[in-house]
Amino acid sequence: MPSTRPLPRLFSPRKASGPPPCSCDAPVKPERQSALKQRLSAFNWRGLVLPLAAFALWWLVSALHLVKSGLLVSPADVARTAWQQIQSGALLRALSASLAREASGFVIGTAGGLLLGAALGFSRVATRLIGPTFDTFKQISLFAWIPLISVWFGLGDMAKVVFLSLAALLPVAAHTCDGIHAVSPRYVEVARAFRYSRLQMARFVILPAALPSIFTGIYLALIYSWLATLGAEYLLVAGSGIGNTLIDGSEQFRMDLVLFGIIVVGATGWALNALARGVERRVLARRTGVSRERAAA
Amino acid sequence: MDNRFRRTFTLVKSVLLATALAFTVPQAYADKPAVIRIGVAQQGAGDPPTFGGSPAATVQQLQLLEKEFAADGIKVEWLFFKGAGPAVNEAIADKSLDFAFQGDLPSVLGRANGLKTHILLESGVRVGVKIAVPPDSNVQSVKDLKGRRVSIFRGTNLQLVADNVLAANQLDERDLRVINLDSASSLAALSSKGIDASVNDYHLYKLRDQGLAKIIYESQTDGPQFTRQSHLLVLDDFDKAHPDVVQRVVNAFVKGAQWSSDEANRDALFKLWAKSGVSYASWQAEFGKDSLKSRNSPLIDPFIVARYKAVASDALKLKLIRQPVEVDGWFETRYLDNALRTQSLEHYWTRYDAQGKPLG
Amino acid sequence: MSKAIDQWAAITERAASVQERASAASERAQRRVRAVVWHLAPWLLPAVLFTLWSIGCARGWIAPQILPPPQQVFDTLYDLAISGDLARNTLVSLQRVLVGFGVGALAGFLIGAALGLSRTVEAYLLPAFNALVQIPVLGWLPFLLLLVGVGEPLKYILIAHAALVPVTLSTMQGVRNTPATLDEVARVFGYNRLQRVVYIVLPAAVPTLATGVRLAFTKAWLALVVVELVASSEGLGYLIVYGRQLFQLDLVMASVVIVGAIGFAINRALDALEARLRRGQPSAFRE
Repeated sequence: MPSTRPLPRLFSPRKASGPPPCSCDAPVKPERQSALKQRLSAFNWRGLVLPLAAFALWWLVSALHLVKSGLLVSPADVARTAWQQIQSGALLRALSASLAREASGFVIGTAGGLLLGAALGFSRVATRLIGPTFDTFKQISLFAWIPLISVWFGLGDMAKVVFLSLAALLPVAAHTCDGIHAVSPRYVEVARAFRYSRLQMARFVILPAALPSIFTGIYLALIYSWLATLGAEYLLVAGSGIGNTLIDGSEQFRMDLVLFGIIVVGATGWALNALARGVERRVLARRTGVSRERAAA
Repeated sequence: MDNRFRRTFTLVKSVLLATALAFTVPQAYADKPAVIRIGVAQQGAGDPPTFGGSPAATVQQLQLLEKEFAADGIKVEWLFFKGAGPAVNEAIADKSLDFAFQGDLPSVLGRANGLKTHILLESGVRVGVKIAVPPDSNVQSVKDLKGRRVSIFRGTNLQLVADNVLAANQLDERDLRVINLDSASSLAALSSKGIDASVNDYHLYKLRDQGLAKIIYESQTDGPQFTRQSHLLVLDDFDKAHPDVVQRVVNAFVKGAQWSSDEANRDALFKLWAKSGVSYASWQAEFGKDSLKSRNSPLIDPFIVARYKAVASDALKLKLIRQPVEVDGWFETRYLDNALRTQSLEHYWTRYDAQGKPLG
Repeated sequence: MSKAIDQWAAITERAASVQERASAASERAQRRVRAVVWHLAPWLLPAVLFTLWSIGCARGWIAPQILPPPQQVFDTLYDLAISGDLARNTLVSLQRVLVGFGVGALAGFLIGAALGLSRTVEAYLLPAFNALVQIPVLGWLPFLLLLVGVGEPLKYILIAHAALVPVTLSTMQGVRNTPATLDEVARVFGYNRLQRVVYIVLPAAVPTLATGVRLAFTKAWLALVVVELVASSEGLGYLIVYGRQLFQLDLVMASVVIVGAIGFAINRALDALEARLRRGQPSAFRE
C-alpha cells in the first residue's frame, strides 16, 4: 500500500495544535511549559469519561439495590474479593500456573513455527509437499482438538502445553512462510546481482524483509496462546490457573470472583500485548522506511 | 530436482515413522510400585480435595490405604476428576491410573471400548437419582419435563437411571432438551434458573435447604432399575504385576466398608463425610431410613451381577455402546473373598438375589 | 570411395537425428512425469499419514481407544449422515455462527467507521474499547454464563463479540489510512463530507476490512466451538462432547472432521473474496 499521511480534519475541524505550516507568517513564541504540564495537556482526558460514568452507574445501582438479583455485586465486593485473593496467595498461584503453561507452550510453538515456516518459505518442494496439508490443518478450529488431545496426552499439564504449542505454532508458521514468500523480487534481483550466496541472501535480504510479517505471526501467537490457555483451563480441567478461577466463580455463582478474574485476565492480556509491542518496536527500530502492516488484533 | 525430491521424501518418511513409533513405548512395571494411583469419578471438594457418600470416601478420609502402605514406603495418590466417570475412562486409557472408583455405566462404556479392567468390590450400592426444579417452577412430575431443558451428566451412572425414569414415564431423551453439565455447573445453572430441571445426586439437598430448588422425584425406592452402583476396579496390567498390593488394597476397602456399615458409627460417618462440603443434614436426608449395611455392602452378589448385566443391555438398547459387553468374567472376586475370610466378615452383609430380595 | 563416405555420412546423420528425436521424446516424457509428480505432490503427506493410521490401528500399535481405525470413523460419519443427526447439528451450528458473525461484523463495522471518521468519538470511546479488547473472548464466557445462563443468547452474544472486535479495529484502521492521493482527488472533485466517505474512504478501506472480516470469522468459529463444548444441547460441539462423554472417540473424530471441513470451506470462500478485493503483489518465492 502506498505510504499514508494522517487524515486532514475534515469531519471535526479542530484548532491546529502544532506550529502553522508556514513559519514565515507569524513569529511563533516558543512556549515553555513544564514537562508535567505538557504530558497532562497531551493526555486524553475525554477517554476517561465513559469508564468513569459506567463505574458511577454501577456503584449507584448496587448501592441503591435497584436490581434484585444475587448477581449484582458492588465494586466494594469485588475489591474485597480481590484483596482476599491477593492476600491468600491464590492469585499468585493461579496466575503463575497459567503464565508458566502459556510461556512454555508459546516458546515451543514459536520455535517450531519458525522452523516450519522457514522450511515452507524457502523450499518450493516443501511448500508443495507440506503446504496444502498444513493449510487445511490450520483451518480446523483450535478447540475442536481438545477432546482428542486430552485422550492422547492425558488430562494434566502435558496436554495443555501440547495444545498451547499448537495454538502458537500455527500463526507463526503461516506468517513466517507468507512473509518469506512476499519478499519483493526486486530485492532478490539486487542480491543476485551482487552475487550473494544463498545463505547470505537469506540472512541479509529475505529474513529482514520478512521480519514484519514474522512479528505479526509471533504477535498473533501470543494472543492465541493466551486465549488457548483460558480455553484449555475450561475444558481440560485439572490443576490451578486463572481460567479455573473464572469457571469456579461462575459455578459457585460468585459474580465478584468472576469480575475479579476478568480484570486479572484483561490486565495480563494487556501486559503481554505491551511486551510484544515493545520487543517488536525495539527490533524493528533499526529498520527504516519499510512499511509495517500489522493485522488487527 | 529429483534428488531433492527424494531426499525430502525420505526425511518426511523417517520423521513420520519416528513419531508413530513413539506411540508404542511400552510401560514398564517395577517390582514394587512407587505409588498407587486411585482415580475418583467425582470432583473433589476442599483443599486438599476429598469426597463423601461411599465406603471409598471413608477409606480416603480415614487414610486407611496410606496407613497400610506407609511401612513399605509406597505413596498413595487419590486423583479427582471433575469430568467424573468419562474422564476416569480417559485416564485409564492413558494408563495414568492403577485403581478407579467409578460408577456402573461409565465402566461399561469403558469396557465396551476395550479397556482392560476387573471389578474388585462394590462401594456404594442401591443409590438413586433425584430430579429437582427451580422452586417456582410449574413442573410437578417427570411427565411435565417434556420439551424442557434438563441437565444430565452424560456418561455417568446418573444417565442410565435418568433414561429408565424417562422410559417409565413414556418419555425419551429426545423429548427433552438435554444439556450435558457436570455436577457443580448443573447446580449453578439450576440456582440461576438457566435450566428447567437437573438430574443430580445428594448435592441437591443443600440447594433445597437454601430454598433454591424443589426436588420433584427421587428414584431409589421405585425398583432396581432405578438404582445405580459404584465399584472399585483395577487395571489388568497392575493386577498382573502386583497381586499382593491389590489384595492389601481390597483388605483396606473391606475394612472401610465394615466401619461404614456399623450402625453405631452412623453419626460419626455422616460427620466424617461432611468434611467434603456436603452437610450432615444432606447425608441424613440421603440415607433416610436405609440401613448402612444395605448401602455400603461391598459384596458382589447375584443382585449386583444382574444389575450390571441390565446396565450393559440397556446401554446397548439406548445405543450408548455399539457392541454388547460381556459382564461375566469382568468381576474378580477372589481378593474380596480372601479379605472377607481373613476379617471374618463372610456373613456380615446380606446377599441379595437378582430381584433384590435377600438370599437365605 | 566417396560414395561410401557419403553413405556413411548419411547413416550417421540419420542415426544422429533418430537419437535426437529419441532423446527429445524421452525428455518430453521425463518432463511429463515430473509434471504429474509435481501435481500430485500435495497428496503425498496426507496419503502417508493415512496409511500409517490404518496400519497402526490394524497392527495394534496404538490402542483403539486412543485412535480409532479410519474405517470406524467413516462408518460413524456415514451413520451420522443417514440418521439426520449430522444435518441437524450442522445446521444449528451454522445458524448460530452466521447470525452471530453477521450481527457482530455489522456492529463492528459501524463502530469502527465511527471511530475512524470522527476524532471526537475516537477520543471518548477508544480507550474504553481498547481496555475491553484486552479481555479475550473466552474471558467473557463465565461472566455471560452467570448473566444469561446456558441458552441460545449465550452463544449469540459470545460469537457476536468474537466477530465484533477484529472488524472494529480493522475498519478503524482502514478508514483512518485513506491514502493522501485519494484525499486530493476528493478535494479536486469538490466532494462534500458524505460523498467523500462513500466514494473515497470506504472503498479504500475495503482491503483492510477484508482482512479483518477473515480474522473475525476465524474467531467467531473458534468461539462457537468453545461455547458448544462448554454448554449446549445441540450442535457440532455438542456432538464432540457427546462422543467424549460416552468414550466413543470415533464420534469425536468424525465431528472434528466435520468442524474442520466447514471451517475450511468458509475460510476458502472468504479467501477468494479477499483476494479479489486486495491488490496483488509480486513476490519472489511464490509457488
